[in-house]
Amino acid sequence: MIGWMRHHKHALGAALHRLRIQAFTALLTALAMGVAISLPSGLYLGLENLSRVAGELPAQPEISLFLNAGASAEQKQAIAARLKQPDIAQARFVPKDEALATLSASQDLADITAGLTENPLPDAWIVRPQATSRDALVGISDSLRKMPGVAETHLDSQWAERLQAALAIGHTGVWLLAGLFAIALIAISGNAIRAQVLARRDEILVSRLIGATDRHIRRPFLYLGALQGLFGGLAAGGVLAVAGTILREPVEHLAVLYGSTFHLLPPDAAEIVMVLGLTTLFGWLGAWLSVTRSLHQVEATR
Amino acid sequence: MISFNQVTKRYPGGHEALSGVSLAIEQGELVFLTGHSGAGKSTLLKLIAAIERPTSGVVSVSGQSVSRLSRRAVPYLRRNIGLVFQDHKLLFDRSVIDNVVLPLDIAGFDRRESLKRARAVIDKVGLLNREKANPVSLSGGEQQRLCIARALVSRPALLLADEPTGNLDAGYAADIMAMFRDFHQVGTTLVIATHDERAITALGGRTLHLDHGRIGGVPA
Repeated sequence: MIGWMRHHKHALGAALHRLRIQAFTALLTALAMGVAISLPSGLYLGLENLSRVAGELPAQPEISLFLNAGASAEQKQAIAARLKQPDIAQARFVPKDEALATLSASQDLADITAGLTENPLPDAWIVRPQATSRDALVGISDSLRKMPGVAETHLDSQWAERLQAALAIGHTGVWLLAGLFAIALIAISGNAIRAQVLARRDEILVSRLIGATDRHIRRPFLYLGALQGLFGGLAAGGVLAVAGTILREPVEHLAVLYGSTFHLLPPDAAEIVMVLGLTTLFGWLGAWLSVTRSLHQVEATR
Repeated sequence: MISFNQVTKRYPGGHEALSGVSLAIEQGELVFLTGHSGAGKSTLLKLIAAIERPTSGVVSVSGQSVSRLSRRAVPYLRRNIGLVFQDHKLLFDRSVIDNVVLPLDIAGFDRRESLKRARAVIDKVGLLNREKANPVSLSGGEQQRLCIARALVSRPALLLADEPTGNLDAGYAADIMAMFRDFHQVGTTLVIATHDERAITALGGRTLHLDHGRIGGVPA
């Protein structure tokens, strides 16, 4: 056990030494990894921020129900009764006069409404159903539309839903991209480690001859790969931090134009730890693949 | 300690380096392998250290069949064998003492203990004042002594040397052979492949003569 710890300490020390004396190569590799990782993680951060915007919109979908101009009093009563059913959480009647008044109150439209000889707006209900699932909402919306005296129903959640669907596609895209770049990361790490193995061919051959196990030979390279991955993750963090700093002001300016106090949020600690953990893992994996293959080659060409 | 039973080694391409070799070497023996270049001396040593595998026959070391050793077990066999190469196989990216310490690092010894042992063995081969030097700055004879120090630092029971004095002038060669005699006297089993007739007569011990891959035993 103590020997095992010693081996690991030794291997880690050797890997750090290797990184120090080849700092420039290590830096280039870390940058290549960092740029590769920053693409999916940057997209992820962008989507997270966008989701937050979407999340600030009214969560409860509403159905706008417009009555026929010629709806009879009985029909109106039937509709009002229907909207007292338990599947409706809340329903507010908006008479056409109130709607017109609201419209006139807004400055830009006052001129238009002033010129009207009669109120073109229908009476309306703003209905908030209990259910929130899309199918249930569509069902309620459709059933309401079929009632006599109803001109039209409008499911206000539609655009928000479309946004959610688009975000879901975005998230899937992030995972696809992350998968591709994980492969790129393995390739970058594997290539860097292969060069290291070839550069240290003599040491490997001699170590073999004096009783080194495969694991002993592999270990410093695995540490090297894992450290490269970790530094790649940190480089990605740097790239994203710079991008965030550059983007912060224009984004906040845009938010102000929309009357929002929205600002970009950085990743949280768990996300940072996860990204660094994954890059370390993939760096290690690339090193493992490369060193195992290279060791067999070194042996074959002895 | 070492036994060969009808061992044949044929290399890819058909060259037969050893043909039906049988021999036995006892613990503590000093054995010289002689024969012309290409007679199979190096191959015989490589078979003992499992660097090569026999095409047929059985090689066993300390009762263990080397020919049937799994890949995983080979390193542990080699830790009990000191290897001295004609071309030294030193690492030039590290100092003399770091070269010597390598087998102990591989075996997982405590670093301080390793350095102590390495220093003792470097002293024994007369390189103590060069321990911080890069092996590249050493002479041929010094490099060979360094190679011997590395082979001995883990105190192996068996030392295999392939032409240890092949590239050295007579003075250096005598030094190195004297060193081997000392190790033999403390009980190490030595198998030395050499052309050096003077060394053989000076040290005594048994001679195995190889001729085109066959033992043409010249009893000592």
